[in-house]
Parts: sequence; C-alpha cells; structure tokens
Amino acid sequence: MRFNYRHLDWKLVGAVMALSLIGIITIFSSQYYSNSAYQQTYWLRQLVWLVLAFVAFLAVVRFPQRLFDASAYGLYGVSLVLLILVLAVGHTRMGASRWFDLGPVSFSPSDIAKLAALLTIARFFAYTRLPAYSKRRLAVSAIIVILPMMLILKQPDLGTSLTFPVILFALWFWSGLSPWYLVLIVSPIISMVAAYYWLSWAVYLVALLIFLASLRPGLIFSIGVVVMNLAFGMITPFIWERLADYQKNRILTFLNPGHDPRGAGYQIIQSKIAIGSGGVIGKGYLQGSQARLDYLPERHTDFIFSVLGEEFGLIGALIVIGLFTFIFFRCIRIAARCRSRFASYTCFGATAVLFFQFAVNIGMTLGLMPVTGLPLPFVSYGGTGLLLSWVLIGLIVAADHHWQEY
Amino acid sequence: MHKTTLSHIGRLQATYVVVTGVFVLFFVGLIKLQIFEHSELATLAENNRIRVVPIEPRRGVVFDRQGRVIVGDRPSYTVSVVPAEERKGLTIPHLAPILDLDTTQIRRRVKRNAASPYQPAPIRRDVPFDAIAVLEEQNSEFPGVNYQLDRVREYSVDLRAEAFTGHVGEVSEQEMERNPQADYRLGSTIGKKGVEKQYDDLLRGVEGTAFIEVTALGEVLGEYKGKERVPPVPGCDLTLSIDNDVQLAAIQALDTQDQKFSNMKLQSDSAPIIHRAGAIVAIDPRTGEILAMTSAPGFDPNTFSGMITDSMWQAISTDPAHPLLNRPLAGLYPPGSTFKLLTLGAGLESGVIDENTTFRPCLGGYQFGNRFFKCWEKRGHGVQNSIHAVEMSCDAYFYQLGLKVGVDQMYRYAMLCGFGKKTGVDLPSELSGLMPSVQYYDKRYGKNGWTKALVLNTAIGQGEVLTTPLQLAQFYCGIANWGTVYKPHLVTKVTHPNGRVDQIEPQVSFQLPFSRSTLAIMREGLRLVVEGGSGTARRLRNNLYSVCGKTGTAQNPHGEDHSWFVGFAPIENPEIVVCALVENAGHGSEVAAPVAKKVIEVYMKKKLGLLEPQQQPEPMAQVGAKELRP
Repeated sequence: MRFNYRHLDWKLVGAVMALSLIGIITIFSSQYYSNSAYQQTYWLRQLVWLVLAFVAFLAVVRFPQRLFDASAYGLYGVSLVLLILVLAVGHTRMGASRWFDLGPVSFSPSDIAKLAALLTIARFFAYTRLPAYSKRRLAVSAIIVILPMMLILKQPDLGTSLTFPVILFALWFWSGLSPWYLVLIVSPIISMVAAYYWLSWAVYLVALLIFLASLRPGLIFSIGVVVMNLAFGMITPFIWERLADYQKNRILTFLNPGHDPRGAGYQIIQSKIAIGSGGVIGKGYLQGSQARLDYLPERHTDFIFSVLGEEFGLIGALIVIGLFTFIFFRCIRIAARCRSRFASYTCFGATAVLFFQFAVNIGMTLGLMPVTGLPLPFVSYGGTGLLLSWVLIGLIVAADHHWQEY
Repeated sequence: MHKTTLSHIGRLQATYVVVTGVFVLFFVGLIKLQIFEHSELATLAENNRIRVVPIEPRRGVVFDRQGRVIVGDRPSYTVSVVPAEERKGLTIPHLAPILDLDTTQIRRRVKRNAASPYQPAPIRRDVPFDAIAVLEEQNSEFPGVNYQLDRVREYSVDLRAEAFTGHVGEVSEQEMERNPQADYRLGSTIGKKGVEKQYDDLLRGVEGTAFIEVTALGEVLGEYKGKERVPPVPGCDLTLSIDNDVQLAAIQALDTQDQKFSNMKLQSDSAPIIHRAGAIVAIDPRTGEILAMTSAPGFDPNTFSGMITDSMWQAISTDPAHPLLNRPLAGLYPPGSTFKLLTLGAGLESGVIDENTTFRPCLGGYQFGNRFFKCWEKRGHGVQNSIHAVEMSCDAYFYQLGLKVGVDQMYRYAMLCGFGKKTGVDLPSELSGLMPSVQYYDKRYGKNGWTKALVLNTAIGQGEVLTTPLQLAQFYCGIANWGTVYKPHLVTKVTHPNGRVDQIEPQVSFQLPFSRSTLAIMREGLRLVVEGGSGTARRLRNNLYSVCGKTGTAQNPHGEDHSWFVGFAPIENPEIVVCALVENAGHGSEVAAPVAKKVIEVYMKKKLGLLEPQQQPEPMAQVGAKELRP
C-alpha cells in the first residue's frame, strides 16, 4: 500500500502542533524580561527542537511498522545500559545525575527508557498471548518496568520513575486485567498513606477487607494483599525517616503549602497566585507580573501552565486542557480500533504516558498534587521531552494509519 | 473469577470516564482559582509588585578633641543603571566615556544586580557635576541610567589622618560571606580600615526601608501608600583624642627641604618640599589618649570613597614606598638605642647593677670572645655610670649590661613592658612585633646553635628585636607616668543619634615592672640626653619647657639607618610622649629628634598660649540631617 499523507489523522496532529506552538509563545513570554541573553533564546531553541521533533514524527510515521516490534527488545537492552552509564559518568545537575553532556546539548536516557519499556511490554503481551491473569505474564511485565524504574529512582528522579508503573498498569488494564485488581495491587501504597494516622488506617483496613470479600480474587492473592497492606502500613514511620529532606518537604508542602511560603511551598503559592490573578481573560500576553518579576520559578519548564493561566486567563487555560482532552480521546479511540495487538498496546501505553504527565503537571500548578518535577508534554521547555512526546504521537498516528493491518 | 473483567467496550468507556473526570477536575480547579479566588489572588499578585528599597543611613561624623571635623560627608551624585531598562549596545557604550570607566567594568557592576533587575545598580559614586549635566541634557541617549543625590565620605586631606581614620569602601563579596549576620548588601559602604573599620557598627547606623510601588511595566510610581517607610537610624558620631594642631605639626615635621632626602636632581633654586617616609605617634601618658598619629607616605582616603578603579588600586598597592602600610602600628623596626632604657631598667630592677655601676671602659667598642662589638662613637666613651651611659648612648656599656642581664631576663622584662604583643589600641590590624626568647633562638638556630653574643645586640635594640612605633611610645608613656601604662586609644566619646553620649574612660593596661627608684634613674638618664653636656639630643633644650627623651639609630637591612626619637615633656609632669621614626634617615639625633621637637613644641606652645593661629583646613560641607530619598 502506498503511503498517503492525506490519510493521516491531521486533526490530532494539528492539536498537538497547536499545543507545541502555544508552548513556544509562552516560553517566549516567560523569559521576555529575563536579563540573561541565553534565557531569552529559549523559545528559539524550542522552535528548533520542534522542527526536529516533527521530522522525527514523520520518520516514525513513514517507518515500516514491523521494525518497532522487531527492535523493541534491543532498544530495551540499550536503554538499560545507558541508564547504568548515566549513573556512572552522567552530568550532575542540582544533585541529580540524569544527563549526558554531548557538547551543546545534553540528553537524558530516561526518555529513551520510557519508550523502550513501552514497546517491550507491548511486544511481550502481543506475542506471548498468555491470559491476562497469568502469573508469568504479570511477573515478567513487572520485571520489565522495575529494572529501569529502579535505575531512574537512583538518579534520583521520582517523577519520571513513576511513569513506569503507569505504563505497566495501563497495559495490564488494556490487555484485560480488571481495574479492581489494579486497585488491590496499589493498595499497599494507599495503606502506607492511611497509616499516617491510626484511625484512618483502621477505617481503611476494614474497607479493604469488605472489598476483598465482595471481589473474591482467590485466597492466596487475598492473603498476599492483606499481608502487604499490614506490612506497608507498619513501615511508614521508618520509610518517612529514610526519605531525603527535599522529598519530605514536597509531601509536607503538598499537604499544607503555607507551611513554608519562602521555601518548598513557594512554588505552589506563586503558581496559584499567577493562575488566579489571571482571572477569566488573563492579563494579556507579556503582561504577567508574576512571571516577569521572577516570582515564579521554573516558569519555562514545570510551571509553564502558570504563565499561561496568568497571561491568557481561564479562556487560555481551558483551550489548553481542552486540546489535551481532545488529543487523549482521539488517541484512545485509535488504540481501541487498531487490529494489531502490538499497535493497540503501544497506542494505549503512549497515551497513558502523556496523560499521566499532563495530569500530574497541571494538578501540580493548580495545587492539587505535590510538586513532582514532571514537565507538561508539548508545552514545557525541554528538547528531549518534546522529541519523545512527538515520537509517541508518531507511534499513535502511524498505528492509526495502519489500523487495518494485523 | 473472571466475571469482573471488563469487556473491550467497557474498558474504552472506563478510560473515557477517567480522561473526562480529570478534565472536569481541572476545569473546576481553574474556576475556583480564576473566578472565586481571583480578587484575593490578584491582590497577592499586586503585593508582589511592591518593591522593598533600602534607605542608606547617614554615616557618623568623626571629630577631633576640640570638635573639629576630621571625617564627614559631602553631597555627591551617584550614577546607577537599572539592569532591566538598560538598552544593549547603547546605554553602556555611551555611559563609559562620561564616567571615565571602561565598558567591561560597567557591565560587571550591572551584572551584580542581575538578581533584582529593577533595582538600580550603582556604577560610580561621586560623579562630577558636569558629567551629571551631560546625562541630564541628553537623557534619551542613556536609557536605564539614573542618578541620585548621595553622600560621599570626605576626609580632611591636610590632616593626612588615614593612619587612624582608615577609609570606607564598598563591601566585598568575601566580607559578605564572612559576616552573614551583618546586614550587608551589594554596594553597601563599610569601613575598611582604621577607625572606620573598628567602629563600623557604630558609624554605619541602621538601614531604613522604603516601599516603592512599581507598575506592570516596571515604572516606579512612587512610595506605596499602604505601608509606612521605616526611617533609617543615622550612625553615631565619634570624638577622637586627636588634636588637629598636633596632628598637623606631626605631618609637617616629616616634610623637609633637605636635598639629602631627595632622589631627584634639583631643578630650580627653591628647594621642593620632600615628604620623608616615617611615622609619628603622640600620646598623652596620663590617659593613653592618642594626640597625633601619622604614617608617611600615606594615601588619600578620599580615593576609596568613590569607586576606585582597578588602575588606581594597582598604582597604590604596588607603590614601592608602601603607602598602604600603616607604620605606627604595623611597621616593624629594630628600636635601636631607644631600647637601651629597657636594658637599663632590667639591669637595675634585677639587681645586677645599681645607679653607679661601671663596666670596663668604652674604647670605641667591646671585645667579646673573638669578636669586637663596635660602639657608635669610634673614639670611645671611657668609663661611665649607667646614667651617663644613657646620656651618651654608649653601646659598649649596654653590651656588658646585656650580658649580665641575660637573654631570659631581657625577654621577661621586655614582655612585661609591652613588647612582642599588641598594645590593644582601638584600631584594626595592629602587629605584635618580635621579642626573641631562648625558645625563639633554639627554634631559629637550633639548640646550642647560638651564643650569648645575640643578647649584646638585643641590649642595644638591634638583632632580632622588632617593635612598632606605637609599642615604643607606650613604653615611654609608662616611664613618663611613673610606671602606669594606659591603653592607647583614639575614641573618647560616642554621641548617639538620640543625643546620648558615652564617654570612653581611660583604661590602665599594665604596670611597668620597675620600682619608683628605678624609674627615677631612667628618667634622670633621659633628662641628661637633652640637658646633659654630652647628651645626644642637646639641641632640644629650650627656655620654654623641659623635655627629655632618647635618640636611636637603627641599623637595618633595607638601606641607611632608621632614625628614632622617643621623648616626653614637661619632665616634671609629662603630658605628651612623642615617638618619631624617620625611615633611612641616619642618626636619631640629627633627624628624628628635631622632628619630634616640632611636635612637642606645638603642643607645649598651645598649652602655654603661645601658638600663633595656624591656617586651619577649610571646614567641610555637611549633608544636613534630612534623609535623602532613594
């Protein structure tokens, strides 16, 4: 079949392109008053990256689709090697070694690892054809994500490492595992949080038992869940002691942003001030005082949405989350109608990665979630992040183009 | 077991529900922030726009003992650049020639303010008025350039008082790091040396705060009405014990027209005035109050008040004449014969000699072992007692006395007389000097690696011993004051801005280890130096007042001998001790004694009401109590 550009999902690509351009416009505004000439060129660098990302997107779309599943395992191996290398020889910035310095650009292997893990699980699920509840299937897929996740946690980069279980759960779910099982699997973590106060823990444990009784997922599994819940609840105080100060701070400021308005809570407060002071129609382009007067940290990366909310108001913010929602609906639809299992899994996993980043980032800027340091896909400044997001969209669009193929 | 598994359609719908749910959640979150909490958060954003601007307090004035201004402020213009408003390629290149700076220097100063781009970064203080006129006339050429009325520290140049006033300067980054609790900011003026540094906490005052409202475009609207400004607290004024008349006499005394001190060929008949290198300290022995202190050559402290350029700093700091060396308290010199009084005191007090003890006659020196130690008088002094040995400053006598006293006792007495340690004067960076002990010699030459011959040199103030002019003056203060040594000090009065006055009382530092009879013999020796028939400072004798002292001629490795004189007047009830040192000038009796005489004479004539009114330095303009607006 001849490749025909007219058959691509241009509505989806258009929405993604619109977000990318909004990103560049906002990055320009966020650094317009910066007195560093370098920061003032962030928008230009992002534009160059966007061109590269679009080329990569086209390459992924034009690529013979067979090559993706064929290369998945190899890519996975390479990504693990890179993750180990970056720990050993990577460039350390702000206490974390996440980057390789390659002359003018630096790149983070975590992004490649995300892609590799996604393709690997998709291939594993698509070709082994084990039933959704097969223990071997669950165990192997868990190992596939835990290896890169541990290496990234070691960097340390909590936000990015959380993307890996998201891929795993998304594909477990999409390949037929009941969402209630997923709830039971993550229940020990809920138990850990609930155990912060004895009464909430007691209530939680009762609820868990009722849930297990009605769901009846099998005796061994049930006992395992209960044991894990008890164990996690009891080790909470010890875990808390072992957390790094900045991690404790993030959790504490999430619970009460006012507790340290000059330190860790500062970002959340300033972000809320920026968004809230924007009102319905915003302060106008280049008029945001929060961003301009340096009150908003990381305003071109993690807090780009705050700049947007301040300058373009509720209308601008709604357009952005609307575009994202449109993209997700579209992607999920593509994932659902692909005939190839591999393509379907890839699409759903890619959507899950983008959706997770979107939800965590905007939740953070609105003060609904802790500060995790995940950028907003397509919009935030950051070359490799933009490239990876476009590659994921490329996988989805390509899958859509070939949806009738098996 | 698999009954709970969702169908394909069910999973799809569940996913749609999650995505929609998150959309709704964010929608509600946005509405909450941007509609319901909008006015509250908008006010907070407004408050973010209130800029906190420091107001510099007036720095305290420094007066002499009669209330004449030594250090004050004068109004001046400071030119600043607001980093955010500066236009690249226009502002700085235009500004550089007007301020006489190069563009990289300006850029560096602007960059230091990068953290607060709307705060004016001071580029140069004390900008001349004609430069301000240019900025005013062509202000479109200079976007982002501001100038404001400011104060600059002014030091009386005629008094050449930098040895004790020190100077101010901009706080350095190291100083800010070292004093994290001090409220230093980039560009703060702090004391760098002398009284300015020692009493910086008092002089500086407390910074005030103004709240300035700024528009979204960064324009300053003026003072913010919602919050009252905190006025600055001016610094305390200091009154020093310095007497301007004596100080002036001290600097003029070091000047000479004697061509011996010039390294230039005389070009015209009128001999130019030559500033000799040296130091003069005058102290009132009854209180320890310092009446005059000068270090020559010095530098103009006003240079540092504005913003010193790198080339100026280079020129001053690498000058071979060491103008930055504060000779009275950080200059280390062998004391020469002025030290013989200590040897004499040690000998009398430890009982190895009495007033009338004689030694082997001086035949132009003293044979010790296989070495002949010369006396300065080649013809020899013959046999003499201790008092006459002081009068004639006979080296041979003191060689023999030193041998009898020994290294240990010499060290012990010297330490008890304040040598080898700081005097504790209220000035920074004083040095302790060096008084060699047995341990010192053992360390330097090895055990048994040295002989008693070393004590011969110490006894006449040569060899290893090093003192500061201030230490010598302190020692002679003790002799003049019958053994009680007051701590030398400058500040006598602190006047707080609220009118409260703290008097600084004189403080007894220590007692000389000599009995009254020992001191009487020492003073008799000093008297004969001036009044005796063969005294080395006979030319100081006069009809107006009595004076005594000791000359010194210190050999040193840096060229010709240093010339010393330390003395006091009047003998009966001493009020002034003067220590004069002239570097590489030769005999003490020829150079330093007349120098010291000029200082003593001014003091005594003033006391007796005989001082003809001298031309006083112009009174300096004072910035009024009104605080300057930022």
